[in-house]
Amino acid sequence: MKEIIVPNDLAAAKQPEELILSELSICGYDQNISFAIKLALEEAMTNAFRHGNKCDPCKCIHVRYHITPERIEIEVGDEGDGFCPDEVPDPTLPEYIDRPHGRGIMLMRAYLDEVSYDGNGTRVRLVKINRQEP
Amino acid sequence: MTPQSTSRNPSGSPFQIEVVRRGAAAVVTLVGSCEMLEAERMMESMVELADESTQVIVIDMSRLDFIESTGLGAIIAGHLRLRHHQGEMRLVSPSTPIMRLLELTRLTQLFHVYPSVDAAVAGAR
Repeated sequence: MKEIIVPNDLAAAKQPEELILSELSICGYDQNISFAIKLALEEAMTNAFRHGNKCDPCKCIHVRYHITPERIEIEVGDEGDGFCPDEVPDPTLPEYIDRPHGRGIMLMRAYLDEVSYDGNGTRVRLVKINRQEP
Repeated sequence: MTPQSTSRNPSGSPFQIEVVRRGAAAVVTLVGSCEMLEAERMMESMVELADESTQVIVIDMSRLDFIESTGLGAIIAGHLRLRHHQGEMRLVSPSTPIMRLLELTRLTQLFHVYPSVDAAVAGAR
């Protein structure tokens, strides 16, 4: 897997996204898959920056990725204390629908084939399978 | 709020927010790709606009290529502020991928989606 470590900064967090989207283009992925990966990466990086690293500029975001024409696998890790993803409420429930935050994990799950967290929730693994006709 | 503000993001088209007054309504046109950095700015813009006692905010999404959850949250934050003075947020012409995003998040239950800015300003679907 390729690895890139960026400072905990929203502008710096764009760098892995650019690299990954560029590789998707080279591998011939269509716009729907690029949209899904861009969205999932934006959500994962924002969560790492804001919730994991608590906006601390001294911390870093760790991104690993492996892209083939058949499959995209990305891991995004932060240097925070972790969290329990199962405790994040469903943002589509009526009582949460008008909350401005809390949709990131739900969107990653909606657009990808696999979203899983390591033991303490400091690293998310994102997988998208290519089902396009060759 | 300034009538127009622009920022360039590295992986998408430059993001712009254009605001035009039409009677009691403010028509906000979102152009390009609203990513992490731009979404933070949009949050401030939406709240500021809603606090100006605007009765209706019409969000024209017809030229919006991409938006993530913080950007959606900015629209919701504006909606919550508008409710303080019985105002209303209305959405116009999202592209197919962005309409899917609105449906997945069930924000179509929170906002009416109109086919044109004129229809949204008039409140006629």
